[in-house]
Amino acid sequence: MHDSYGNVCRVTDGLPKSKAETAGSGRYMAAIELEGVTKRYGDVTAVRDLDLTVEEGEVFGFLGPNGAGKSTTINMLLDFVRPTSGTVRVLSRDAQAESVAVRRRTGVLPEGYDVYERLTGRQHVEFAMRSKELDGDADAVLERVGIADAADRRAGGYSKGMRQRLVLGMALVGEPEILILDEPSSGLDPAGAKEMREIVRDEAERGTTVFFSSHVLGQVESVCDRVGIMREGELVAEDSIEGLREAVGGEEQLVVTVDAASEADLEGVRALDGVSSAATDGGTVTVSCESDAKTKVIGALEDAGVTVKDFSTEEASLEDLFLTYAGGDGADAESGDVTGTEVAE
Amino acid sequence: MSLEAVARKDFQDAVRSRWLLGLTAFFVLLVSVVVYLVRPGEGQTLSTSALLGSVFIRDALVTTLIPLIALVVSYNAVVGERESGSLKLLLALPHSRADVVFGKVVGRAGAIAVPVSVGFLLPGLVAAIGPLSLRPGTFIGYILLTLLLSAAFVAIAVGFSSAVASNRLAIGGAVGLYFLFVPLWGAIQFPLRLYLGTGGPDWLPIAGSELLRLLRLINPTGSFKIVSGEFVSGTLFAAGQAGSEAAGQYAMQMEIAAFAMLGAWLLVPPLLGLWRFEGADL
Repeated sequence: MHDSYGNVCRVTDGLPKSKAETAGSGRYMAAIELEGVTKRYGDVTAVRDLDLTVEEGEVFGFLGPNGAGKSTTINMLLDFVRPTSGTVRVLSRDAQAESVAVRRRTGVLPEGYDVYERLTGRQHVEFAMRSKELDGDADAVLERVGIADAADRRAGGYSKGMRQRLVLGMALVGEPEILILDEPSSGLDPAGAKEMREIVRDEAERGTTVFFSSHVLGQVESVCDRVGIMREGELVAEDSIEGLREAVGGEEQLVVTVDAASEADLEGVRALDGVSSAATDGGTVTVSCESDAKTKVIGALEDAGVTVKDFSTEEASLEDLFLTYAGGDGADAESGDVTGTEVAE
Repeated sequence: MSLEAVARKDFQDAVRSRWLLGLTAFFVLLVSVVVYLVRPGEGQTLSTSALLGSVFIRDALVTTLIPLIALVVSYNAVVGERESGSLKLLLALPHSRADVVFGKVVGRAGAIAVPVSVGFLLPGLVAAIGPLSLRPGTFIGYILLTLLLSAAFVAIAVGFSSAVASNRLAIGGAVGLYFLFVPLWGAIQFPLRLYLGTGGPDWLPIAGSELLRLLRLINPTGSFKIVSGEFVSGTLFAAGQAGSEAAGQYAMQMEIAAFAMLGAWLLVPPLLGLWRFEGADL
């Protein structure tokens, strides 16, 4: 499912600096700036007091489960919806008052869109080109996103994956300074998702700022410089992939197969240094601990009179971390004190 | 230009809809039937004005059907895209919401021009070979006026379509507007004329006949009838041909007012719709 899983991520130092660095100051310009942004729909708060800055040239992964407020945030960048309070700036312009100017320099793959059923793929791209007031080769765009052979077919007959490619193609028209991609991999098969990441990487190398959302960490970790994690309308973590890796760094998951174990048998294990949690279902004992504590854990279990039959270790994954922040189940690591990571709860 | 890009895309899209294809066929058929019905007897010819002024063309076809066609083709222009999500594609590109609303008016009015023009021209050409002595200028002018009427109804429908948040409301609005402007307006005309024509009640700030005139003007089909009637009989903006100077001036004023009213219908509903659309979260 997550075919990119375990890929080496791009390090922060590798940021393309071509147009990102401002002359003289040596400081990165902000491509996207949200300050104290709140969006309420009646009683429901979709986004609460969000502060977020994405630098020019950066590839930013915007993560969180469905309904966490990712799309609402993206819709505010594009002026599809207006914030209840706070300011949103894109490319140093007000996202609401100067939205047309913002969108002229932005490529967008929105969420929940539909294509024009009766128009062909080529007509879609030509419309995007006319809208951005430029001439170009629509076929070259369709070639790049891999649907050139369907250029003259009506988009109404396209599969979900082809529609996604078509709209990505429209987003790439005119070499935008920012690409905003909302769940770009949805509807794509693993090969398509890989191509999508390659396109994102190419664009980033050209110096484009990429802001993209996903509810699957595996889709973003191989391409992004930094990620933010949304949960229930709040940004609960913001860090580089490296930083997040460090946050789970030494921790390992130790799974011990035993004859029989009770809660009482685990007391000695829990008391050990370097053990953050331990649980048992009777036949197996699962322990989250630092890697050098493993032998002590086995020893403590044997001291408690438990017969150890077998054991294995798993490195705690970013997925576990993501689930911890995002509030999913299946992970019990703690929200640690991570340098540079904002933890809201 | 952004508005042009939206209009062009919308025209391309609307012109390919089955609805429009069906309407074109339907319209050609109807005009053909009407031309057949009003055909002159053996050895006689029928003038263009007699044809276009006939009750079949003017009342049954143009002022009854054109508003219906315009509303059917346009009611979902904006809200349909909003519900399906294609509006996000449109607004992800650098278009303002004003470009979207007015681009839609232009695009849909252009799309309707296809069935209307084809519907008039095809039977017109056939008939011209036969017994009709058509004056091309009058015929084409009449088609243009008909397009103005359809554009006014497109503008009303697009305005409404921009203001509402669901397709169901838009359909309801289109049906309601049609009944208001076509059957209902027609039904109350006669009793109102009886009532107001004699002076009307005392509390009215203006004379009853003035109010009748106003009512006639407000309805786009009423304005169209004034303008097209004068045009077909060759007296549009030609007050001198009227019976007296006073009658000429009155006719002239009505023509100008009728044109102004059609212009207002073209602009005001989309502006009101835009005002609501601007403030909406999509």
